[in-house]
Amino acid sequence: MTRLKGGLIDRSKTLSFRFDGRIYQGHPGDTLASALLANGVRLVGRSFKYHRPRGIFSAGSEEPNALVTLRSGARAEPNTRATCVELYDGLEASSQNRWPSLAFDALAVNDALSPFFAAGFYYKTFMQPAAFWEKVYEPMIRRAAGLGKLASEPDPDAYDHGFLHCDLLVIGGGAAGLAAALTAGRAGASVILADEDFRLGGRLLFERHTLDDAPASDWVARAEAELESLPNVRILRRTTVFGAYDHGIFGAVERVGDHLPVPQTVRQTLWRITASRSLLAAGATERHIPFAGNDRPGIMLGGALRAYANRWAVSPQAKASDRVAIFTSNDDGHRTALDLLAHGVPVLAVIDPRKDAPRLGEYQLYAGAQVTGAQGRRALSSIQISQNGRSEWLECAVLGVSGGWNPNIHLASHHRGRPAWSDAHQAFLPPADMPPGMRVAGAAAGQGTTHAALCSGAETAQAALTDLGLTATLPDLPQAEDAPVAQAAVWHVPGQGRAWVDFQNDVTVKDIALAHKENMRPVEHLKRWTTLGMATDQGKTANVTALAVMAELTGKAIPETGTTIFRPPYTPVALSVLGGGDTGAHFRPRRLTPTHSFAQEHGAEFVEVGQWMRAQYFPRDGESHWRESVDREVLAVRKGVGLCDVTTLGKVDVQGADASEFLHRIYANMMGTLKVGKVRYGLMLREDGILYDDGTCARLAEDHYVVTTTTANAGLVYRQMEFARQCLWPELDVQLISTTDAWAQIAVAGPKSRELLSRIVDEADLSNEAFPFMACAELTICGGLRARLFRISFSGELAYEIAVPARYGNALMARLMEQGADLGVTPYGTEALAVLRIEKGHAAGAELNGQTTAAMLGLGQMVSKKKDSIGAVMSRRAALEADTRRLVGLMPLDPAQKIPAGAHLFLPGAARDTASDQGWVTSACYSPHLESHIALGFLEDGAARIGSEIVAANPLEGDECLVTVVSPHFIDPEGERLRD
Amino acid sequence: MTDLAPLTALGQSEPRHARFGALTLAERPDIGLASLALRRGTAAPQPFGLTLPDPGCMASVQGVEAFWTGPDQWMIAAQGRAAEDFAAAVRQQAPGCSVTEQTDAWVVVEIVSEAGGAALLALAEKLVNLPPASLSPGRATRTGLHHMSVFVIRSGDTRLAVLGMRSAAESLWHALAAAAHRTEI
Repeated sequence: MTRLKGGLIDRSKTLSFRFDGRIYQGHPGDTLASALLANGVRLVGRSFKYHRPRGIFSAGSEEPNALVTLRSGARAEPNTRATCVELYDGLEASSQNRWPSLAFDALAVNDALSPFFAAGFYYKTFMQPAAFWEKVYEPMIRRAAGLGKLASEPDPDAYDHGFLHCDLLVIGGGAAGLAAALTAGRAGASVILADEDFRLGGRLLFERHTLDDAPASDWVARAEAELESLPNVRILRRTTVFGAYDHGIFGAVERVGDHLPVPQTVRQTLWRITASRSLLAAGATERHIPFAGNDRPGIMLGGALRAYANRWAVSPQAKASDRVAIFTSNDDGHRTALDLLAHGVPVLAVIDPRKDAPRLGEYQLYAGAQVTGAQGRRALSSIQISQNGRSEWLECAVLGVSGGWNPNIHLASHHRGRPAWSDAHQAFLPPADMPPGMRVAGAAAGQGTTHAALCSGAETAQAALTDLGLTATLPDLPQAEDAPVAQAAVWHVPGQGRAWVDFQNDVTVKDIALAHKENMRPVEHLKRWTTLGMATDQGKTANVTALAVMAELTGKAIPETGTTIFRPPYTPVALSVLGGGDTGAHFRPRRLTPTHSFAQEHGAEFVEVGQWMRAQYFPRDGESHWRESVDREVLAVRKGVGLCDVTTLGKVDVQGADASEFLHRIYANMMGTLKVGKVRYGLMLREDGILYDDGTCARLAEDHYVVTTTTANAGLVYRQMEFARQCLWPELDVQLISTTDAWAQIAVAGPKSRELLSRIVDEADLSNEAFPFMACAELTICGGLRARLFRISFSGELAYEIAVPARYGNALMARLMEQGADLGVTPYGTEALAVLRIEKGHAAGAELNGQTTAAMLGLGQMVSKKKDSIGAVMSRRAALEADTRRLVGLMPLDPAQKIPAGAHLFLPGAARDTASDQGWVTSACYSPHLESHIALGFLEDGAARIGSEIVAANPLEGDECLVTVVSPHFIDPEGERLRD
Repeated sequence: MTDLAPLTALGQSEPRHARFGALTLAERPDIGLASLALRRGTAAPQPFGLTLPDPGCMASVQGVEAFWTGPDQWMIAAQGRAAEDFAAAVRQQAPGCSVTEQTDAWVVVEIVSEAGGAALLALAEKLVNLPPASLSPGRATRTGLHHMSVFVIRSGDTRLAVLGMRSAAESLWHALAAAAHRTEI
């Protein structure tokens, strides 16, 4: 055991956890990583490509190596960073990318074959034959190389989403973030303080520095208590702000239940935060210095070594006598040595390439020296130190590497702002063009000392509030260390062995050199050639170092070589939480018709039509195939009377003194001339002259119309009408509102429909003379219920549509069924509705597919030349006028042969290609009335080709059908039935 | 009086109620609704004595409420008047205006908190992307909720009404109830 004294863990409680089947103990306050190290577990994973043994490298979200699968079964979550997992009792984790075991991984043979796996290996090796890529090479590569595996079962946990608004969003709860939140919170601004850790304090928790001569954690606790007491401040712990989006919107994931043995209520919440101003105080990530063999377990970032010792009271030695060395290019690394010594950890040496490196404590200093090698297969056993041309191997179990700090400016760059190189910091600082309203403070802005971080946090918050017209006073900040940190630019140690730059993707200095040699020099090419900076860590510990190595190779300065850019998310975000928790039936809203209960009671099969659930058909006992039900429903309408809920058709109430003029301009045909009490079929065109919707328009009064749209376009037509009203013709006196849901509308169709309706209307005369085809009226039914009756027909039969307030729709349907029992009344669904309209040759969505014109439907004359309307002029452009395709009916020579919907039309014997294509089948069905399959389609010169034969072919599946071209009106072409 | 039996938007003969800790959700099928839009050049009327409110706001007088729904357009809502032709009543109160029946176009879910306004705001932040100012008493806002278009009306400190498309009543109820359920644990 390598637990030290102190630390921010609760030793009064012990937590048991399991890693790769073995049970270990830790304490509340531990992460999985700290607990593993405390138990002497140093080998935690295998590398991506070479399957090399890897250990914990960092103490935060930048971790490239310690990726584990957390939990098991349906809750298994691959690629979880052990450094970010809060330990809980019963935690279960397993290592990844190894077989059969972590200690012995058969695929480690890849390491021996590494000369064959150099940069660009995939691109060079798997070129031929091209057809092998998808089916052979890619699956093989994916099996061999990779990270964890997804659980194949559905995620059992609940996810949530929500929306927050604030004056100031503070991202990061370290020294700068806490000072900023205190400043803004005390000023009365609404503040959200988000930190990815489960404990506020950031790096303050990792250091031995004091604040006002007391442990930093004391000040953190006081600040936290004060912030908790302020009603205008909201603290989001365990919350990663992962992206900066437009208009001051940030995406954040709060891990609500990830730290619990079984997540209660919700596991994670996706917050969309709208912030007037934001303050990025995300700290900095330490970088390492690549040298030969630098990926061995036991080699980690110096700052992480210090963090484990100070916060978690852990040293990653196997036993207390194991010696620890520090390889650093800056003064900060020496502090790690001091902290370890203070904890009683034996320090072998500090190796510093600077000849003038200071010795800050009682440790052996190798100034002007470098670590040039490391040994130990599953854990570090010795390092090679080179100084003044001489090398020696020394036994060493742990090595901390400190190559300087990279500010965490990711979010500042999410709007494509290019990070700005600072020679003074030897790092990229936030770009000048950050997301609007964002400021950066603390180590993220290059303000690395505790004193500077505290001050910059407070001052930056004050400036942000000034922008908002709020006055903030700078708080009294505690006395903190402010020692300057000298550093040298040491980007890697030249040598023969493989020196890893990107641990997660197994990219070495040699790979970068090869990419340079192969002219993959721009950083974008370098990334793709070598896979550097990809996968879950996105190169947090690799990118800048790689850039510096490439700069050295090209002989250019770092900013000339290129820069790095960041995109959301900052750290991986689960798709489940992005989905916001709505799955299955609740994935999107469902709209139910007013007669849904009736349909359910009558055993309807439902079909999704947009958001609507509509009755598709109503199977009866003894019917074993849907066609039997549909055929019966169709024939019932043609012979007697049928009922269909058509509420889903859009309804727009149009009123106003200029309603007629408005509709004249909206519809392609004349509409303002419609008489009160009448209905007319109308066409609407897009601006480009193509048809986009059709339906009926009823005139209820001089200044009052009801426009009906197709189900699919209800929202679109209403929106377009509102746009025309508000933006195109604001001078017109027109008022619009949707009434789609307000009225339940039932189609009553068939030769006995008049008889049936006459049984429920209160006093109205429904005779053909009093209420002819295309009449409409407001009347009452069933003892005084207000209703609207329209004599319109989609089926081609004598038919009506009756509308009542939606709450009565279900009861009306039941009443019609009851009253029509002796007439053979039959409920019918969307399938029968479609068959009926295909038989009649009426267009629907399949014909109005965004490519068709009024002329193609044979309705070209409806586009009035007596007035202007949307799309009318463009509908007369040459390209559309020249289109000879017309709607035709198609009947197979063999009535039993099905015509494939979507098939294309070819002359018999013609090649089945685009050049010979003469049109396509839009709708197809079996007509029980004609006892034949039939179809509608668009055919070149269709109107002149009635009686000719043509082939409906589906070359993709090999279906072909010889058909005769007929009139699209299979039923009652003269329209006598509907006028009867 | 018709002998047809109405169903509520949630498909039952009686309105649905549910309690989640301090929050109560109640379907309100008794509320009569009608939209009122001004014709060009006409002055705003004062139906039922209501001063028609500014954008984003609501007004109420003795069981009748009005809230802004668009330029020169309001919704008039009256408790206990869903069974009658409420649009006709509004038309009488607002001569010369365009009035359209809306009673059955919407499902109205009223949420009442026994734990003060904070519980309503905690619920609302899981449902709608509105800043707290838009949710203060007297405010009414059209917004999106779980991909549905709704009106959110804060008629009082402890009272919040959500109006959604009638046909999507089940989806709306599910979203509200699921969020309310999570606030009680």
